[in-house]
Parts: sequence; C-alpha cells; structure tokens
Amino acid sequence: MFPTISLGPLVLPSAGIIYILGAWVVLSVIERAAKALDLDAEHTYGLAAISLVAGFAGARLVFVVLHWPAYQENLTSIIWPLTSGYEVWGGLFFALVAAFFYGRARRLPFAATLDALTPGFLAGFIVVSLADFAAGPGYGTETNVFWALDIFGINRHAVQIYEIIIALIAFIVWWQALKRRQFEGQLFLLAMATYAAGRLFVDAYRANSPLTAGGYHFVQIISLVILLICLIVLARMVTRGEQDGDQAKEQPQS
Amino acid sequence: MIVAVVLVGIGWIAISQEPVTAIEPGSDLTEAPIPGYLAPNFVLYTTLGEEVTMDDYLGRPVVLNFWATWCPPCRAEVPHFQEASVKYNGKATIVGIDQGEPSSVVTDFANSFALSYPLLLDQDNSVNRQYGVTALPTTVFVDAQGVVREVYTGIINGAVLQDRIENLLNEG
Repeated sequence: MFPTISLGPLVLPSAGIIYILGAWVVLSVIERAAKALDLDAEHTYGLAAISLVAGFAGARLVFVVLHWPAYQENLTSIIWPLTSGYEVWGGLFFALVAAFFYGRARRLPFAATLDALTPGFLAGFIVVSLADFAAGPGYGTETNVFWALDIFGINRHAVQIYEIIIALIAFIVWWQALKRRQFEGQLFLLAMATYAAGRLFVDAYRANSPLTAGGYHFVQIISLVILLICLIVLARMVTRGEQDGDQAKEQPQS
Repeated sequence: MIVAVVLVGIGWIAISQEPVTAIEPGSDLTEAPIPGYLAPNFVLYTTLGEEVTMDDYLGRPVVLNFWATWCPPCRAEVPHFQEASVKYNGKATIVGIDQGEPSSVVTDFANSFALSYPLLLDQDNSVNRQYGVTALPTTVFVDAQGVVREVYTGIINGAVLQDRIENLLNEG
C-alpha cells in the first residue's frame, strides 16, 4: 500500500515510522488505563516503557550476536533502528525479564497491572496490523465482497483492517467491563478472549498466514488455545468469587 | 460453553485448512509479486553492463534476492546465496537485485565476498516497487514456469534457502 514515506530527499519505511509512533500511543494508553483503574500510573507507565525499550534493544542485540560477521565492519548499523534485523523471541524474553524485575521492585500488583496494560496490548496489535497494512507484506484471500482491496489487480479481503476492528471491539469490551470489574485480571481476560476469538475467525481470510505441516493456520490454533485459557480462568475466578460471597453471607449467621 | 467453543473453534480451523499441495497458478495469470501469480517481468543491467530480463531466466527455478550493501542482514545471508549458486549451478538461478546503489559499490562488495552469481542494479528502485519490496532483505522464489511460489521477508539461512530450492526442483 504505502511501503515508504517520502520527506524531500529522505525516504523512510512506513512500517518503521508506524512502530515508533505506535510505541508512544501504547505508552499513553497504558498511562490513562492505569489512572482509570486507580493504579500508580507513573510506575505502570515505567513498567511498560522499560519493557518496550528492553524488548526493542534485546531483539536487536540477539540478532546482532547471531549474525555478528554482518555487523563487525559496520558498527553504526547496530543502532540504526529502521532496517530489519530483530529477533522477536529475543525481544520478548528481554521485555518479560525487564517487566518482571521492574514490577517486583515497584511492588506492582500482578493481575491489576495486567488489566491496565491490556489497552496497551490492544493498541500494540493495532499498530502491528496497521504497519502490515501500510507496508503490504500481508494480504487477504481473494474475494468479490464490495469492500475488497485491489492488490496488484486482484480483489482481496482487507485482513489487516479486520484485525484492527477486532482489537477495537476488544477495547470496547475492556471499557464496558471497567466499571463492573469483579476481580483483578478480569479486564485482561475478557479483552484477550475477545481478541483471540476474533483472530481465530479472521485469520481464515489471510492468504499468507503461517501454516502447520497439515495446512492448518498456526495463528488460529494459538488463538483457540488462548481463548480457552482465558475462558477457563474467567470461569474459575467467577466461581471462586461466588463461593467467597456465599461464605461471607454464611459467616454472620454462624 | 467451553465445550461449544472448542467444537466451533476446531471446526472453523478445519474449514480454514489450506491445501498442502503445490500452489496452483491464479485464476488468471496476472503479474503480481504474490504466490500463485506470474513473477513481474523487468529489464535491468548487471554490474558488467549486460541487459537482463526476468524472462531470460525462465525454464528453471529462479531465486530473486533483493538486497543492498549497507544492509547488515543482507550481508549476513550473501554467503548462503553464493553457496547455493554453486551447488545448484545449471539447475536453478540465483539473482541478486541491488537496491539503488552505484555499480562500483556493488562490484567492490561482490569482489570482497567473492560472489559469482549475477548482481543486477535497480538504480531507480522501480523493480523493488514492482515486487512490493518493503524491507531488505526480501527473497522471491519463482518456479520454472515463472510463477511466484514464496516471498520471504527478512534474513534467510542456508538450510531454508536450499530446502526451498530443492522443493522447486522436485516439483519441476
């Protein structure tokens, strides 16, 4: 669609720009969510910011270590962020480690913090889908629906737009549940269940989705597993809440 | 409810299953940098000044590697392409398409890495745009009939590269 953005003589990759702006949006959303949940907004923001930076730096660091011969003669390219060269799993590992130690040092409540981070996760999913849409590496299956996108003369499902709509629906679920929250972690579980259910559905319309050996969509399988985990934990927490309520009612009588 | 979710989920995954057989050409053989469609034709020049078109390479599998000398991941994977070009010499064609650099820069790089496969110069980036290249490196696998079979974005290792070429050779 729009793989590059031209600013005079400078040609910048649109995906890189979207990711950089997206990081700012994610952090802003998390700060607002923390305030809405009466959490320590400063430390919740700090947790997210440190995890983002650690994940970004870690992903590049692991990639550089794995491919050192390509960098040893051009050290400045290690810190230039707009070229490819990130190891996703390395980044995830560094982000989780940073979040763990920061959260522990600041004594942030785990489940409540997850609730506050959820809008940030959803904003992050939107950023990834938007970058995928703008840069164009992802595309949908062929279709004749009127909202199809013309990609190289072929009408295709706008699968990245579907993903963005799902994230927005999950955010509405989070927002609606905010004032009715029964237990910490509920907002996270509800929003993630909604998003996973949506991805399970729309990934069928992605033409270049990673497949298992049998031809099944890998993202759909992961989505189903996440959806089930969220539903089971939600069911248990609701049941436990009801039991606690019953015991509280019985205690004054005894 | 959870049982219903499991059943519906598994059912939907089964309905969405992709055929594991080879990709069939699209309903019309439009040129597009998408698996199942004809690889867009182009006219470029090698570092030696020879004119080359995509059609020149048809008849055997072609691997188009979009790269640049300033791109570290590209530099990391270049030895794999050199190794594959030697191993599959006469069976498959490896082609490097440089993104917008002068011939002298590409030639110096090729000499320092002892590259022997053809390096084409896309000095106005028109072929990069034609192939929808949004990140370097990007590797496009084209079968002997000129149909795009896979677009691989990011660094590719030697094992994956050779696996893809073997698949194209076995199908041909």
